[in-house]
Amino acid sequence: MSMNELIENFMATGGHHEPTTTELLAWLKGEMKAGNLENLAGILPRLVRPDLDYTLAIAIHRLFKRVRQGRPASAPNVKIAVLGSITTPQIVDLLDLYLQAGRLSPHFYESDYGVIHQEFLDPTSGLHRFKPDFVLILTSWRDLGRRPQVTDGREEAKRCVDQEVARWTILWEIARRQLGCQVIQTNFARPAWRAMANLDASHPAGLSRFITLVNLELADAATPGVTIYDLDQRAAAVGRWQWNDDRFYYEAKLPCSPEHMVDYAYGLASLVLAQRGAVRKCLALDLDNTLWGGVIGDDGLSGICLGQGDPRGEAFVEFQRYVRALRQRGVILAVCSKNEEAIAREAFEKHPEMVLRLDDFSCFIANWDDKATNLARIARDLNIGLDSVVFFDDNPAERSIVRRLRPEVAVPEVPDDPSQFIRVLDQARYFELIVISTEDLKRTESYRADSQREELAASLGDLDEFLRSLEMQARIEPVNPANLERSAQLINRSNQFNLTTRRYTSADLLEISQKADWITRTVSLRDRFGDAGLISVLLARVEGQSLVLDTWLMSCRVLKRGVERLLLNHVVRVARERGLKLLVGEYIPTPKNGLVRDHYPTLGFTHADASTQEVSRWELRIDGSRNPLVHFIQETGSREPIDV
Amino acid sequence: MSQLMSELQEVFRSVFDDDELVITDSMSAVDIDGWDSMAHINLLIALEKRFGIRLAPADIAAIGRRGQTIGGMLGIIDSKTRPVDSDGTGL
Repeated sequence: MSMNELIENFMATGGHHEPTTTELLAWLKGEMKAGNLENLAGILPRLVRPDLDYTLAIAIHRLFKRVRQGRPASAPNVKIAVLGSITTPQIVDLLDLYLQAGRLSPHFYESDYGVIHQEFLDPTSGLHRFKPDFVLILTSWRDLGRRPQVTDGREEAKRCVDQEVARWTILWEIARRQLGCQVIQTNFARPAWRAMANLDASHPAGLSRFITLVNLELADAATPGVTIYDLDQRAAAVGRWQWNDDRFYYEAKLPCSPEHMVDYAYGLASLVLAQRGAVRKCLALDLDNTLWGGVIGDDGLSGICLGQGDPRGEAFVEFQRYVRALRQRGVILAVCSKNEEAIAREAFEKHPEMVLRLDDFSCFIANWDDKATNLARIARDLNIGLDSVVFFDDNPAERSIVRRLRPEVAVPEVPDDPSQFIRVLDQARYFELIVISTEDLKRTESYRADSQREELAASLGDLDEFLRSLEMQARIEPVNPANLERSAQLINRSNQFNLTTRRYTSADLLEISQKADWITRTVSLRDRFGDAGLISVLLARVEGQSLVLDTWLMSCRVLKRGVERLLLNHVVRVARERGLKLLVGEYIPTPKNGLVRDHYPTLGFTHADASTQEVSRWELRIDGSRNPLVHFIQETGSREPIDV
Repeated sequence: MSQLMSELQEVFRSVFDDDELVITDSMSAVDIDGWDSMAHINLLIALEKRFGIRLAPADIAAIGRRGQTIGGMLGIIDSKTRPVDSDGTGL
């Protein structure tokens, strides 16, 4: 079997099929022996599916480790401390596997077993010395402190809840103030048993009820720097008796049944990756036998299976509802179908049971080209990377070709039975999210406005005329609690228009925004086609008489609109009011930010000495007279007075 | 080498990541590189999966007992993979 066939079989069987798995592992080990590390580095991440078998996951992780050892060291780019009242090494190995597959290079600190509070409270602990970017707190219901007694009333039970929550929020406060790091903490997964039987959920002393209340209060208490990992949901989704395997708790303090530890770690990794902006943004959907049963071109509007009265038809309706819910919270939808476009569109306009509407899709591609080409087209139209796309298609041949030609695209296995579609998509957790911002809620509209703008640009030859006709309005504001999460999201997601690619967590950002020697600015932009929301962030630090531009980034969706000129004019004004004489810009090249190589010279900065080979420094004197740069954006008042 | 022993050898090769590992009845943890507490757990997990068995806490304790030999482990696995009595659970 060829390597490609082997990988394809592996992907199609989910790594649960012998002898494919054994054969693939043998092949990978052969590559390792032959020293083909570059080849392995390309292939291994593709094999890391969310639902790997435990033993196989550990085996693949070993290969990852050896590839990492054998290649020029890529410096760790995220420091993660793992504290648990459970055994953590296995979880850490699996977490490392999924983070590496997501192109992060983590460096871990593991505390001893069961010393979570000591590590936080002792300023000389390993945790404090490690200075993590993330601290993961992995708990079990066995950690719960004082639990309500059967004689307790509701008030006493409530006191127990409050005490429990306070035990953890105090750690979050230390994480924020002393460590300046993000916290990801599991909530408490309820055990399967219920000593109070059915009353366990309603009696004040019921453990189920107590844990549920603690989990809700923890979720409500979580500040921007804290993410609660809903472990209780994982236990419930798997089935609590299956999730818990107390033999392995008694033997080795494993947090759950070994076969579900992969799921546990995958969920954790998804949250870390989401914090770093490595999430999928777009769901590209096939139509025939994916959104409805049958073939619209052959069967016609009345012939396709969709709607009440037919079990498959109902399943397709329910799947469309789920997809629509994804769209409503910010996932971009695209159609990627082999069809006559007019016929495909008509189905959405005229079928009475259709849940999804044409305006739910930001991009609609129905033609007879191959899907690998069409997916590239979708990514280009939406201005997103192929690694942001999930492709969902019932046809195994299409999945196979996309996996082979577009390995960056996530391609889940789609079963024949449409009642399983939601499960497949939901279990893979492609679209993990930390918060929902207002930008998420209007994303579909704004991506559609992008393509309308493209049309206008094509009809107006002259750039200035085009920009003027957009009637752009911008609001410039400091980073503040209202825009903190969106700003952090942008800081962690922007790769292309990003001068320094410095990542800051929302906790970091909050701290920076409160410092007197920092100036923070965000830009929100709207035009006659729609509201793009908050699209640019600038963070600058006063050093003597200079203002050093530590971070300057912008969403690629508003390139060449003059936003950077508007923002520079604004910053020059603010810096002058502070009596500063010089702006200092830095450019740190990465594989992705070649777009802004000439950002500073274009804006009139001159090259200063290169402080290191990697970083180039640029300066702009602002003490003399200087004409503001020309742009076509009207600045509107901010919601709050701007501090200077 | 019995069928069971050769399957066990495959499990060992996979868990200890050594394709040339040859196991014998008289070997124990000290004879195999990398048999630490984490590898031990990975071994238990792989054994259950490979042989489709469920080890009771007493078996887990017996397998982990100091000086336990591979021959001894084989006996435990063998007793678990034999056809079971009428309730069919093998638990």
